[in-house]
Amino acid sequence: MSDKMTEDEFEAAFAAATELSEYFREIGPDCDVKNKFPKQSIAKFKKSGLVALNVPKEYGGLGADILQTSKIISELSRGDSAITLAYNMHFIMVGMCMGLFSEAQNKEWLGRVADGDIVFGPFSEQRAGFSGLADMTAVPQPEGGWRLYGKKVWGTLSEAANIVTTNATITDADGNLPDTFEERVEQESFFVAEFKVDAKGQGDGVRIERTWDALGMHATGTHTIHFEGFYVPEDGFVCSWRGGAFGVLEWASLMFASIYLGMQYRVLEEARAVLSKKTLGATFGAIAAAETKVANVGHIIDGIGDMASRVELSRRVVHRTCQELVDGYDDNWPVELRFPYIGLAKTFTAENVMYMTKRAMSLVGGSSFRRGAIFERLYRDSAASMFQPLNADQSCTYIGEQLLAPEELSD
Amino acid sequence: MSTFKDADEVYAYIGKAMEACVVEPAFVEATKDGSLVVKIIQTAPDATILVDFPGQKVLCGDAAVDAPSTVQLRMSSDNANRFWQGKLNFTLAMAQRKIKLEGKRSTALGLLPLTGPIFDTYKTILADAGRTDLIVD
Repeated sequence: MSDKMTEDEFEAAFAAATELSEYFREIGPDCDVKNKFPKQSIAKFKKSGLVALNVPKEYGGLGADILQTSKIISELSRGDSAITLAYNMHFIMVGMCMGLFSEAQNKEWLGRVADGDIVFGPFSEQRAGFSGLADMTAVPQPEGGWRLYGKKVWGTLSEAANIVTTNATITDADGNLPDTFEERVEQESFFVAEFKVDAKGQGDGVRIERTWDALGMHATGTHTIHFEGFYVPEDGFVCSWRGGAFGVLEWASLMFASIYLGMQYRVLEEARAVLSKKTLGATFGAIAAAETKVANVGHIIDGIGDMASRVELSRRVVHRTCQELVDGYDDNWPVELRFPYIGLAKTFTAENVMYMTKRAMSLVGGSSFRRGAIFERLYRDSAASMFQPLNADQSCTYIGEQLLAPEELSD
Repeated sequence: MSTFKDADEVYAYIGKAMEACVVEPAFVEATKDGSLVVKIIQTAPDATILVDFPGQKVLCGDAAVDAPSTVQLRMSSDNANRFWQGKLNFTLAMAQRKIKLEGKRSTALGLLPLTGPIFDTYKTILADAGRTDLIVD
């Protein structure tokens, strides 16, 4: 048996994704209106087998690489971007964890994922999002292990998860954070633990506060997670967070890119469906004609062509970036620029999907602006692409700063 | 003023630690089928150490300067002293440009989690040489 996912295995997984995507498409609008994560989708997600998609075969998973995972996430997102963004959290954390876990942790936790458990990873805190060093504390316990205290504000997928991964800064026995910046970096750590809450979101030392209220991506159920003495045993320590995450953040960046690529597929699909059939009857405005079929109007034709070009370019950028990682070509990039260069795929698709949702609304006309129309929904959802790290501004700063830095060492 | 008085001291302490590093079983296992040759280029004082992992050998000084390498690691000798004692966070030091890593980075970064035993070896070398003043608290 190959340790990689074969073409046949990929086709079977993609077919499962297509079926699940149809289901997401069906339930998505109601979730958007009700602003809630569809708990009824959990069983379907698990039944699809995709929960083990990117778990290596040696731990019982399907063994998809980052490109195969990307394609499947885009297919799911084509059905419903918000529900897929929720489950995307699982794929991101599985991808990151397998590069950071010890062998024993891989066997235990990825083995559980292969059996159907779902992982989430709340990291961002109120103050500075993902960039901020964790104010959440991990206080060492006399019996071993740590108790976590603090709050994470972007707890996507918490309502479906069985496993939590998070970052916290290890303190002294009294709960005091390290005094210096360097020590804080050193002590910021990555943990994994069992996550169990009741129907009200209350668990032992942890609770979900249902705070999600945003412009778009309503179905993600991205709530606030309070850690109030949540116990993590000693074997739940994974590694130093920043040093570890540095090498595996492609799983976050490129999976977000895949979400927005899937959205681009959907925007084009919906725009074509409307604009290929729409007629305006007799018009006397920019066009004066007894019968106006919009598919014959110049700016509509150009608009669809432009959107299709952007979809194809985004597809090539995302897939090629994934392929270069699979092939190890990233080894040729300057190490300081590896993460922002990978992030270009996400910023590129983000810019394009936001442009496309606006353009589609303009081409389709006022009906697209009405609440419940797929276009206003995609427009709102696409705005989320501005925020996941690295965003476009951060990427340019990161790259520019490195390129303008003096050759000499800073000391 | 630098921690080390000259390049010979760098070779005597850090060079010796690297000699232990290339035969450390975890490093041997991780690098045996690869081509990882790290050139450590230090400043203040200037010193060059070549660490050939597959060949399990270490060159110092002029012999190292002209030898080919797959990864180049630049840092001050003071920071090298801290790094080999586990007192310099590699990722943070890269972000702050205290360390520059060039070349094929994936294998080199993959070795970072294995460096723990080398820290003790290096500190033992310093202590045996009577240079406890170089040991960072």
